Amino acid sequence: MARSMCWHCQSEVAGEYFCERCVKVQPVSKDADYFTCLGFPRRLTIDLGMLEAKFYELSRAFHPDFYQNKSETEQAISLSNAATLNTAYRTLRDPIQRAEYLLDLEAGAVKEIRSSPPADLFEEILELQDTLEEYRASDQSSDAGKQLRAQLQTEQTALERRKREMEEQLQHLFRQWDELQDKGEATSAARADRERLLKQMREILSNRTYVKNIVSDLVATIG
Amino acid sequence: MAYSDKVVDHFNNPRNMGSFKKEEDGVGTGMVGAPECGDVMKLQIKVQNDTIVDAKFKTFGCGSAIASSSLATEWLKGKTLEEAQKIKNTDIVQELNLPPVKIHCSVLAEDAIKAALADYQKKSETK
Repeated sequence: MARSMCWHCQSEVAGEYFCERCVKVQPVSKDADYFTCLGFPRRLTIDLGMLEAKFYELSRAFHPDFYQNKSETEQAISLSNAATLNTAYRTLRDPIQRAEYLLDLEAGAVKEIRSSPPADLFEEILELQDTLEEYRASDQSSDAGKQLRAQLQTEQTALERRKREMEEQLQHLFRQWDELQDKGEATSAARADRERLLKQMREILSNRTYVKNIVSDLVATIG
Repeated sequence: MAYSDKVVDHFNNPRNMGSFKKEEDGVGTGMVGAPECGDVMKLQIKVQNDTIVDAKFKTFGCGSAIASSSLATEWLKGKTLEEAQKIKNTDIVQELNLPPVKIHCSVLAEDAIKAALADYQKKSETK
């Protein structure tokens, strides 16, 4: 965590969230991202056990019960810290949300991260949505209805497999990203690598969202 | 957060829902998506003598995305290609009273219009 000054005694805060001199709770810095907040490096692979342990530790440290007899300022800080911490933990706990968040953080550094819409995937989704509508409007106990249902079920299985494959690809990219970050090279080749990885991740994450949506529509309709 | 009356109206009575055959003469098709929410939008125009005579859409997404594309097709009908090019997402935001979190739905509709126009242009050039 960046060095800052204690709001209460004005001495330099070296600890994480408490001033070592006057022991007052310190607010989470406005510039701190969720990784910093929870004391983790900006990596896409995180040990969930360690993350949870850190979250519980800090949750206890900021728990309102311990601030009942403290000043209003301290009560407000603990409350707002606890809220930030909750959001940070919820975001980092889920690998997909974690990656989306990291991409948002890195987006400033890498321009044009937005991927172009995948035309063939869209065609497929729109076609499938039409079939879904047809099925909803059909007499579902009729032969035609049953046939549509079977067709949709096949599609659902295929899409679920595709979603899993995308997630595996993402895991692979996550590891590559982390390795690159661990090396920490500032060469132009390393920069280009980072950029490429971010773009690939962005693209798969987007496509995964489209697939996820159509799968949940399928599940909601045919169960 | 509640949807505005206009959004609800377009959502309950979507105008011009449906599609044209992509290959049909004078038809331009725009397909766009919002990666943040996974909404998918297809917007089509039918053009005669540089004027949009008909427009249709199909949107799978939230109420605001459906309303934005429904409104867009209403506006497109009767406009020349040049006029259609000028429709801005901010016009849609204003008309539908979209809250900040739903502005991307109007951006999606503008992108869809642009994509449909570009597709029509491309088709008529290659002919």
